[in-house]
Amino acid sequence: MAQDEILRCHELRKAFGDLVAVADVGFAIAAGETYGLLGPNGAGKTTTISMIAGILDRDGGEVLVCGRPHGPSSTWGKRRIGYVPQELALYPDLTARENLRFFARLHGLGRAEARRRIDEVLAVVGLTGRAEDAVKEFSGGMKRRLNLGVGLLHRPPLLILDEPTAGVDPQSRNAILESVAALAGEGTAILYTTHYMEEAERLCDRIGILDLGRIRAEGTRRELVALVGELDRITLTVEGPRVVPSLQALPEVRAATGHEGRVEVMVEDAGRALPRVLGAATDAGVTVRAVEVHEPNLESVFLHLTGKALRD
Amino acid sequence: MTAATAMTIARAAGAIAWANLVRLFRDRTNVFFVVIFPIVLIMVLGLSFGSGFRPPLGVVNGDGGPRATELVRALEAAGHRIVPVSGDAEARDAVEHGRLSGALIVPAGYDRALRAYTPVTLALIGRDEPAAHRLGAALNAVVTRVTMPARAAAYARSAGVSGGFDELVARAEAAPAPGVTVAVSAAGAAGPSPLGGYEVAATSQLLLFMFLTSLNAASAVIETRSLGISRRMYAAPVPVGVILLGEAAGRVAVALLQGLVIMAGSALLFGVRWGDPAGAALLLVAFALVSGGAAMLLGAAARTGQQANALGLLLALGLAAAGGAMAPLEFFPAPMRLLAHVTPHAWALDGFAELLRGDAGLAGVLPQLGVLTGYAAALLALGAWRLRAALTR
Repeated sequence: MAQDEILRCHELRKAFGDLVAVADVGFAIAAGETYGLLGPNGAGKTTTISMIAGILDRDGGEVLVCGRPHGPSSTWGKRRIGYVPQELALYPDLTARENLRFFARLHGLGRAEARRRIDEVLAVVGLTGRAEDAVKEFSGGMKRRLNLGVGLLHRPPLLILDEPTAGVDPQSRNAILESVAALAGEGTAILYTTHYMEEAERLCDRIGILDLGRIRAEGTRRELVALVGELDRITLTVEGPRVVPSLQALPEVRAATGHEGRVEVMVEDAGRALPRVLGAATDAGVTVRAVEVHEPNLESVFLHLTGKALRD
Repeated sequence: MTAATAMTIARAAGAIAWANLVRLFRDRTNVFFVVIFPIVLIMVLGLSFGSGFRPPLGVVNGDGGPRATELVRALEAAGHRIVPVSGDAEARDAVEHGRLSGALIVPAGYDRALRAYTPVTLALIGRDEPAAHRLGAALNAVVTRVTMPARAAAYARSAGVSGGFDELVARAEAAPAPGVTVAVSAAGAAGPSPLGGYEVAATSQLLLFMFLTSLNAASAVIETRSLGISRRMYAAPVPVGVILLGEAAGRVAVALLQGLVIMAGSALLFGVRWGDPAGAALLLVAFALVSGGAAMLLGAAARTGQQANALGLLLALGLAAAGGAMAPLEFFPAPMRLLAHVTPHAWALDGFAELLRGDAGLAGVLPQLGVLTGYAAALLALGAWRLRAALTR
């Protein structure tokens, strides 16, 4: 086990009758790392994290939290996990503070510590001003933020987030994503499930693509893209003499084509190739009016690996 | 178990129980149904069953002569609370509206008619109910006794004894007449003294509402599951047994609170004395455990809140009716009384009746406590088993 490894699971298996929901799933997450489980509805994301959170018995495999075996009866492991379920697991008729106090007590926080942590968490999720309001009066986004806050109360080294932005407005989604990024920055290991490709790309250091209960591929976004052979595309809008031959001569460029003032350049890494491409265009005496960079995304990776779109 | 572990368990179980209670009273309608409604029902039923309060007997003394006055005094001496009424119409109105238990009309000329040895009819106005007939019989006995010397005087006059009415009456009153009396002697132990109306109403409503409120709150268990809060509790570092303990404590706390409201309310407002404090407290706790266990089982077994509410209402009212918490068990035929003891309500009623009559202490209700504890253990075990399955599924 790596020194800063917070979670390791391997060969996780779970079946419901004849339906195999999860088969041989394994991955590890280090402190400060955000690991995304990306897959469509029904891929096995919730079943996987339920086994990791210790709320579902597994049929096989092993979960280690901070190096120790973990399961439904392991209160040691549960003390180190913050679980944020997909559903809004909050009492609607209690206030935000009462909900937080309830879960703080369940996590064994003493009165004074609970009061302090509740105030801190309310500030983190931006609900200090609404602490005394009943949750049923909250917007969907505010409920999601409070749902996240409950998982942070006991400062867990591992935070499990099951589709935490489902059904929220863009503003709240952004707030949640910023909070998650900040937590990772503070050293929290985060297991993040989503079927929103953009969220996985924005937040996750590594991504596991889950389909039909199995991890199809795993790695950084760039590694996954490279795995399926997709290239970055730079589109130039130009005026002046032909520039395509000059671009084709660059070692970074895999292909270049031009048509009616638009030049398409295929490269492995647009970020690194772009300055050379623009330099070559200038040297060739053309005026570059616009530049567009298109990097292959996880949607295309997912399509390539599973033969279907992410939201199917 | 270390002190820290015990503290963690108490903290977690207490939090779950606390959440249940707070949520119950956050809905203002529950304040009405838990606090106000049962007390109002006890008042209404207490008056209906008879509270020990008897309206007075009205007397329209249309004569006012010495013989009429003597009759009224004799009625008072017999224990009747007499209220003078000015006329027939007023007497009839007062009886109709329940202000008088009945009204006796002593007509003008009563005295003169006795002196003339002519028959007199006293009218008694009463409601068409058994109590009025009992009142008529009691008044007849007094009137017969009071007018007996006048009858004897009439007989003496017809037998040729000389003297005026007053003289003959005086001689009849002074005569050592051979009387027949009934001497009562007791055999065996004294039977149970009947409970007052408020006592009957308070005990029956106590059990009805403890069970009803508990089962009504069972839907909270389903809501906790459907909202995903149960799963989240399970993800917290508390053993599943502690979650079950907390849920059970929440259900029992609801029942206990309902019981305390009714006990305290009926004692303060209607003077109900619940008997031996230890016996009453243990019976209350035992029935709260029964109610809490039933609520936990219902909450774990029902799929939806609507299903739980419908089933809970049916069970609460059905068991209360069958167990004597709606109509006193004394009204039941013997086989039904026996059958009623399938319900925990009948056992609890028996226990409270023992205490309320003041005859029994804690030892006297041990059989009832034993049966109720058995019910509670079975229901809580079943409820915990079903809820555990629902939590860990």
